[in-house]
Amino acid sequence: MIKPKTKGWFAVTLAASLLLSACGSSPGDTQATSGAASSDEGGEKVSFTLGYASGDPAARKAISDTVQRFMDENPNIEIKDISDNSASSYLDWLKTKDAVGEFPDLVEMRDTEVFADAGKIVELPSDLLELFESPPEVEGKVWNAPLALNVPQGIIYSKKAYADAGVTDLPKTYDEFLAVQEKLKASGISPLVVGGKDIFHMGFWVNKFLIDDVYAQDPDWNSKKTAKEVAFADENVVQAMTDFKFLFQNYVDKGWLSTPDNQTASILVSGKAAQLFSGTWMFSQIEEADPNFEYGFYAVPDREGHVNIIGLPSPAGWTLSAEAAKDPAKTDAIKSFIRYFFEPEQYSLYLASLNGIPSTKEKVEYEASPAMQSALDLMNDPDVTKSLAINNWWGDNLIPPQFRNWFYKKLQEMVVGDGDVADYMKQIDTEYDAQVKANSM
Amino acid sequence: MGTPASTAGLQVKSKSRRKKSKANSFALLFILPSLVLYTLFVIVPTLGSVYLSFTSWDGISEEVRFIGLANFAEIWQSPRVHNALKNTLILTVSLVLLENIAAIAMALMVDRVRWFKNLFRSLFYFPTLLSGVVMGFVWAMILNYNFGVFNQILNAVGLGAWAIDWLGNPDYAMVSIILSTVWKGAGYYMIIYLAGLQGIPAELSEAANIDGASGWQQFRFITFPLLAGSLTVCMVLSTISALKIFDQIAVMTDGGPGFATETLTYIIYKVGFGELRQGFGTALALVLFVLILIVTVIQVQILRKREVRY
Repeated sequence: MIKPKTKGWFAVTLAASLLLSACGSSPGDTQATSGAASSDEGGEKVSFTLGYASGDPAARKAISDTVQRFMDENPNIEIKDISDNSASSYLDWLKTKDAVGEFPDLVEMRDTEVFADAGKIVELPSDLLELFESPPEVEGKVWNAPLALNVPQGIIYSKKAYADAGVTDLPKTYDEFLAVQEKLKASGISPLVVGGKDIFHMGFWVNKFLIDDVYAQDPDWNSKKTAKEVAFADENVVQAMTDFKFLFQNYVDKGWLSTPDNQTASILVSGKAAQLFSGTWMFSQIEEADPNFEYGFYAVPDREGHVNIIGLPSPAGWTLSAEAAKDPAKTDAIKSFIRYFFEPEQYSLYLASLNGIPSTKEKVEYEASPAMQSALDLMNDPDVTKSLAINNWWGDNLIPPQFRNWFYKKLQEMVVGDGDVADYMKQIDTEYDAQVKANSM
Repeated sequence: MGTPASTAGLQVKSKSRRKKSKANSFALLFILPSLVLYTLFVIVPTLGSVYLSFTSWDGISEEVRFIGLANFAEIWQSPRVHNALKNTLILTVSLVLLENIAAIAMALMVDRVRWFKNLFRSLFYFPTLLSGVVMGFVWAMILNYNFGVFNQILNAVGLGAWAIDWLGNPDYAMVSIILSTVWKGAGYYMIIYLAGLQGIPAELSEAANIDGASGWQQFRFITFPLLAGSLTVCMVLSTISALKIFDQIAVMTDGGPGFATETLTYIIYKVGFGELRQGFGTALALVLFVLILIVTVIQVQILRKREVRY
């Protein structure tokens, strides 16, 4: 039953609610932070560059504010933020920075294995490991200080639009979800807004269907695909992409291909569209766009009524560059910053800005909306299958780094050109195999 | 044996040759600094990239593996590259024709208009001052489906049915890029044509007027043939610029929707940087270089033949 929005203050012990053990801050942590700061006070000025995916305005502001506070408290450490929020692809930007010799000293790493293999990054210093609750390992090594745990993606809907369309209950199966889309469409509103201009945003839907039909049953599907034991042309993937195509051709707002991710919140709150499929980081953007907008959040079930979401940890987060690690002073400064960033009073501000789930051992609290509570409930529900997006797996399940964007673009082409799904999946198989072969040369 | 007269002739010739050689050395001295810099920063890296095109280098790792002609074989077979080549050719032919037609029309107007000559000249030239990136952002905002001015105007005047996703529809995305690029580029070529027009002797037009030639006949038989020099320059420059178009595509469509506006230069960037295939991207860049070279040489040969001297 959908209830009117009742926004209140939830003192959320997020780490505890996720069954993560909450440990108090050790005196050693504090000493390490203040020790680094004080040792810098009389010494020479240390400077390092910082790069991160700054597409989300709220997260960008939270990080830059933290950086500023850190520099105010540590006048001998200068952080040069070289992030670029206009880049459409973070990997493109990072690679370009590397090509011109400006690879950030401290970088938000997402393609960890690729850059680790290339020798561009180093393992997370061992004394920082104590900050985190089971950080993901790649071949037994921890490379990243995770900025937050992966959060679930789901439908963020306008309660008014649902009420106007006569939708009183949230869907329990995918067919019920489609029935809701029909009702919304009949009420005269565009059911779904998609920020397809940003390729990653389109991936939210692609991965929802892939997780339902592929990864929920077989988390090792990627490695089997690489070994040619399974194929995109298999029935389950074709079904997933058929559902994707049907949804996009029938219920997605017409301008989706030229709508960037950062316009989706405005379109939702303006009443032009009824729903948005995204992650919890959008909540703050929506509230900023219209503080009075009433919205809810739920995960889209599959045909059998199972709920499968993104929620497994993946190797991503703050990472030291190999170049910076050669300089002990720089390394110390970076370590000081990482400790500062994950201090509860700092980290809670960052998490609140994007409704994130903490990755630290230490308890972190911030105000959470009812929608965020729904997301946390999903994460805590043992019956909900947790998985990852196609490009977030690692080890044997790592896909060729060039594949994801090509795949999403191919799917755009399939939708707008009304292409035959089975035929497109065969083309995608050919390209995947070619990329695996090219990478092995 | 030479006669005294021929000896004197030889002496004069040798003197003039020495003078010429001295002048040449002097000229060489002037171009030497830029020649050294050009060699260091353009020629040497370009030659270095030839080797990379035979490797599978990902652009970030230390390991550079030689793979022979595999990259070129993939270029030959890749449907994505074929699509990018097709898009590049469509874009180039359209841009070269439209930019030059628009530039000639604007130059004729500015040349003949009696009032506000400088105002028109400035207005037409102004878009060329914008960078491709700025121009791309401006047009992407104007043509935005949801909040763009263009669709809002269409809606306001009752033509809401025509308000489409200009940059998200594969049928219109390329047209939008072409028209916005013409808007930006035509003013530059207008200046070259204007210089050409102002160099045409006025007597020719006066004589044609006396002979009763119409405006079109004067343009067809006098003005246009005498603009051949400007035409050669503008055609070559606009062809090279169209073959290398990048900024507008990166900003306005990111090569999409799908691969609908992906060109050779854009695919070079995408595979080289975004897809971690620097070796393949370099091989593609070499192919583009050869393509530009061939097209330019053929174009210059053809256009030079029809140049008129007076």
